[in-house]
Amino acid sequence: MDENKFDHDKSPYERPNFPFRCGRGALWRTPCNSGPKVDGSCGGTRDCTPFFKGNRWLCRREKCYGGPCEEGPSPTGECSWQRPPCAPRKTLRAIRGQISFLVVAAIVALLLISQASNPTGAGFVNISDAGPLSKSHKKFTEIEGCASCHAAYGKGPVGWIKAVFTPVDISERCVNCHSFDGPDSIAHNNDLAIDREVRKTECIMCHREHSGQKMSTRQSTSEQCNTCHKNKFESFSKGHPEFPEKYPYFNRNAIKFDHGSHLKKHFENPKFTEKAPSSCTGCHQVTLSDREVRPQAFETICVNCHGSQIKKKDLVLIRLPEFMQNFVDKEALIQACNSPAEEKTEDEFLSVSTEMPALVSTFLLNVPEDDPETYEQPLQELIQAMTEESMLPIEDLVNSQTETPMADKLLTGLNPEVLKRAACSWGLNLEYEPPAEAKFGGWYADMLEVRYKPTGHRDPVAKSWVEFALTVSTVQDDEDKADRAKAMREEIISVKEGVGSCVKCHAVSETTLADGKKKLEIEWQYKEVNDRPHSQYSHTSHIEIMGNKSSCSNCHILDGKAEYMASFKGFDATKWSSNFSSIKRKTCIQCHTESQINQDCQSCHIYHLNPGFKKKMVSAKRQMPEIKK
Amino acid sequence: MKRIWGYIVIATLFFVLIWVWTLKVDSSLNYPEFVSGGALFFIIFFLCLFNIRKRVPFLPLWPAHKWFLLHTVAGFLALSLFWLHAGVMWPNGLYVQILAFLFYLTTLSGIVGLVMEKVYPNLLTRIGLECIYERIPRDIAEIRNKAEALILECTEKTGSDTLAKHYLETLGWFFQRPRFFLNNIFGGQNAQTWVLQQCSILERFLNAAERDYLDQICALAETKRKIDFHYSLQKMLKNWLLIHVPLAAAVITMVVWHLIVIQVFFN
Repeated sequence: MDENKFDHDKSPYERPNFPFRCGRGALWRTPCNSGPKVDGSCGGTRDCTPFFKGNRWLCRREKCYGGPCEEGPSPTGECSWQRPPCAPRKTLRAIRGQISFLVVAAIVALLLISQASNPTGAGFVNISDAGPLSKSHKKFTEIEGCASCHAAYGKGPVGWIKAVFTPVDISERCVNCHSFDGPDSIAHNNDLAIDREVRKTECIMCHREHSGQKMSTRQSTSEQCNTCHKNKFESFSKGHPEFPEKYPYFNRNAIKFDHGSHLKKHFENPKFTEKAPSSCTGCHQVTLSDREVRPQAFETICVNCHGSQIKKKDLVLIRLPEFMQNFVDKEALIQACNSPAEEKTEDEFLSVSTEMPALVSTFLLNVPEDDPETYEQPLQELIQAMTEESMLPIEDLVNSQTETPMADKLLTGLNPEVLKRAACSWGLNLEYEPPAEAKFGGWYADMLEVRYKPTGHRDPVAKSWVEFALTVSTVQDDEDKADRAKAMREEIISVKEGVGSCVKCHAVSETTLADGKKKLEIEWQYKEVNDRPHSQYSHTSHIEIMGNKSSCSNCHILDGKAEYMASFKGFDATKWSSNFSSIKRKTCIQCHTESQINQDCQSCHIYHLNPGFKKKMVSAKRQMPEIKK
Repeated sequence: MKRIWGYIVIATLFFVLIWVWTLKVDSSLNYPEFVSGGALFFIIFFLCLFNIRKRVPFLPLWPAHKWFLLHTVAGFLALSLFWLHAGVMWPNGLYVQILAFLFYLTTLSGIVGLVMEKVYPNLLTRIGLECIYERIPRDIAEIRNKAEALILECTEKTGSDTLAKHYLETLGWFFQRPRFFLNNIFGGQNAQTWVLQQCSILERFLNAAERDYLDQICALAETKRKIDFHYSLQKMLKNWLLIHVPLAAAVITMVVWHLIVIQVFFN
């Protein structure tokens, strides 16, 4: 081969960027000098295009193709070298362009056909499908499809163009079903940052769909929390603020259980050692624990020591007090009681009782308990009425004290016959002699009193009297009656004398109603702490790791100096001292450090405020039609 | 070599920058996908510029070999950004799966092309012949004409048709068009063996005059073999773009669709 074959006079200039190439070359023949024309037709039927100079035609064949030919052009100016035309072929570049165009056209056609054929995406390949929905959302979007969340879906090209220029907050669709106890688009659904502006939040900041069966939820890191929180820190073990002073014992217990006296005194007393639990789990139900480790029922853990105490504390409804005069209409009494008349004159009247009246009856009649001259007439009238109508006068008196009649609860089981007999005796200035001792509890009359003996724990009548006493003590307008109501309340909720000694264990707390009025409530049930909705703690997982014997005392350490029981003397539940020392952050850091157990914010904190579902969501689920398979 | 390391360092720094930026955006509870997606779109656009650059060789826009290096490094950078953007190797959803499939195919074809670009030029240089791809038909035709002219001359001058018959039965097939394509693209030696065999097999049946002609024909066959080698390798170097470029066009189309879908449903 010639080394200089690429010289300009030996080598033609190749143009691979032209759309066509010589058809002869494609068949491995010598390509022509001119090559194909732009339109793809053969341009090489002649070797050259002769030109006319002077008075003759001259050959113009290029030097690289051999220069001017010997034959030269014909007298008419035509090239003497002629050949049949070839069929030019496309160059590689042109083929590449064509394939690229076809591929793009195929994809565009696929996109357009899929959109045009069925915009809901059902029954045809949905080319805008971003991926499967999570299990929880898939069911609720079966009917509406993508339009459940995406407003522009299925609205055609115009709707799509509009959507591009109309910002849409997809979170608005989320709260069609999801609900919170606060604003949807404010961090934590709670206006916590009142001193500064924080940006609006969107659901998709953390929750992502189209990620498969499970919803993709962002695990917030300390760094992410730091973007909004004023108090910035690296991690729980590094810089997290110390827990509050009373953590986690912010709220007074519903049940007064002095761990200090029980553990250090009573359980160590040989009299009770056998009945005492061996560890915390003897009373606290570990198997059902989460944030709280609830104590077991009274009947399981307290009854052995405290069961008999309840029945010993009676309620005195009426007591025959000392009278100075007799206001009873004897004829009416004799007629009502069907008993023989006694030969006694007014001057000879000497009261059979020297007692003071019961505080319950003085409150009901609104009379002073220490002034016989004031109380004797209304009380004797009540007794007279009881001889005629038994319990009806008392029922009327009780019902008149509260907005909602309570007599049916307070006087449940009160025998009218017993009441009438006692009233008849007292009307005749005699003691009532019961036929037998009241052993099993309930209402009974005895000498000078009508009493109620609780049948045991959870006795409904005793509970109702405690509630009645607490209710009426806070609603009185009359000062004297208010004092009498308080006196009755103090007697009924007395730890030593109160009916059933309910308040020995159950705390009484003052609450403020929506209208600003104060109300006293007895806490019958174990009260779970729910005033820290952004925090969570699982006792279960901690106990699982540390064991259920000694693990409690790792964190809950008895405070011997705490005046626990003194906290229950008043009704203010916020002022109290726990039996246990508050838990410090260092206790948790023993395990929750970088090298040991995770310390993500969400391990202890809940982002949303009481998340739930809207009512229509639940009803929609109920009305969901069957989907055709 | 130094130059490519420079580009790799720049690409790595760019990726780290985007990665740190996405982490920053993620930590502020924003959408890191917009950052990684924007960067990926920019890189894909830059990759496309190489094709445009090749269409305007008259403009002083850096030499093509530098563009090629940048295109290569940017291709790998795009792959890294794709993973950063998608968060997974294989995404959910039909259209993103189509997009991912096309993207991976384009990347794979690019890697195959890169391997060829690195291996084939060395092989072509080693063969000791320069050849313009578009001129190969003319060269083959020229060699064939010379060979046939030699055969005619040999027959006329020696009065023997042994060489002519041999040419018609075997060598004529070889000179007709490029041969041993598959063997050549894998760097095989079949063509060389075949030419040597065809030249040596006849030698003992020829007289001295005919041997001179045989030697000349064998020299032409050797040149033709080298041109065939050029043809095979250059054809591969040019034709892999028939896969890579249309795939890239398909990726661009799906990227545009992706942007539309994002704008419509995530605006």
